[in-house]
Amino acid sequence: MNSVHFTSRVGDHSVVVAQIAEGQWHALEDDQVVGRGDASRRPDGRIFLSIDSWHGAVFDRLAEVMLADLPKPLYTVVDAADLDLTSSWQRAGFPIRRREWEYLVPTDPQITGLDSVLPPEGVRILPVCAAQQAPLGEMYSAIRDQVQAAVGWDSMPAEVLARPDGTPIFDSLKYAVAAESDRYVGLVRVVPRRRQTRIGLIAVRADLCRRGIARALLAHVLGSLHRLGIDTARAEVDESNGAATALFEGVSARRASSNLELVRR
Amino acid sequence: MTGTARGIEVEGTVIECLRNATFTVELQNGHKVLAHISGKIRKNYIKILPYDRVLVELSPYDLTRGRIRFRYRT
Repeated sequence: MNSVHFTSRVGDHSVVVAQIAEGQWHALEDDQVVGRGDASRRPDGRIFLSIDSWHGAVFDRLAEVMLADLPKPLYTVVDAADLDLTSSWQRAGFPIRRREWEYLVPTDPQITGLDSVLPPEGVRILPVCAAQQAPLGEMYSAIRDQVQAAVGWDSMPAEVLARPDGTPIFDSLKYAVAAESDRYVGLVRVVPRRRQTRIGLIAVRADLCRRGIARALLAHVLGSLHRLGIDTARAEVDESNGAATALFEGVSARRASSNLELVRR
Repeated sequence: MTGTARGIEVEGTVIECLRNATFTVELQNGHKVLAHISGKIRKNYIKILPYDRVLVELSPYDLTRGRIRFRYRT
């Protein structure tokens, strides 16, 4: 029987854990849901778990039941500031795999110091909505392959999704691009979110890195947002990504929070 | 306020983001609760900010604590 007993300040409790659907578990006390477990598969095939409970004993029991049913590896994401939840997952055998920082990025050129930044010679920046679909798609595929061959998309906060046939899924209207002669060499994705704009991805072809193209793309995008009256954007950066960290911290972006990815293999 | 097999769910407004991944949410009845976000919200990288209107599930063990299960579009 998948049950657990515990005592809270309002009395003794007996909770039963049951799977209610594929990837979904409930912890029930007198037919009332007092805990939930969820397992969902991301487009890259990885299974991410979440557990909500009001008591550590219920969390542990849900985790135990779910882990017995699911294939490894299993992943989860927690806010690094949530120490209780982090320790609950660690107790369930999930060590921390990586950390990503969330940056708040100012857009004011007086703060970022990007007011006089221009793209390198021969490179021009095309604003959001101006990129052509075909060359953007070609560069997108190149960036996908480039990242997958290096750190892998599973260590990137901004995942670039692909259809089963490998064709990238993207909305070309969200991208500003850097172009050199007849091809695109860099891109930045700007996601207009309710009340907080997000810079979802910034990338440059590997053979053209360290020429200031990413910085020029960032200068263009932040300047555009500033002119629209948006004073801050948000961006996530993997802790191990030194280039992206330097790029954002170099424009006075500040760390606001961090997420931890934990994995059980 | 609805009390169902899913728990006690109440609409409210986020009035403060606290440092330890919790939020102060003012419920429709004026009461304030300390709320975490649900695992699904976290997994989907949905950001919760002050003034967001949210659906909170209250703890059956402590009605001053809750979990944000949904963020409404405004």
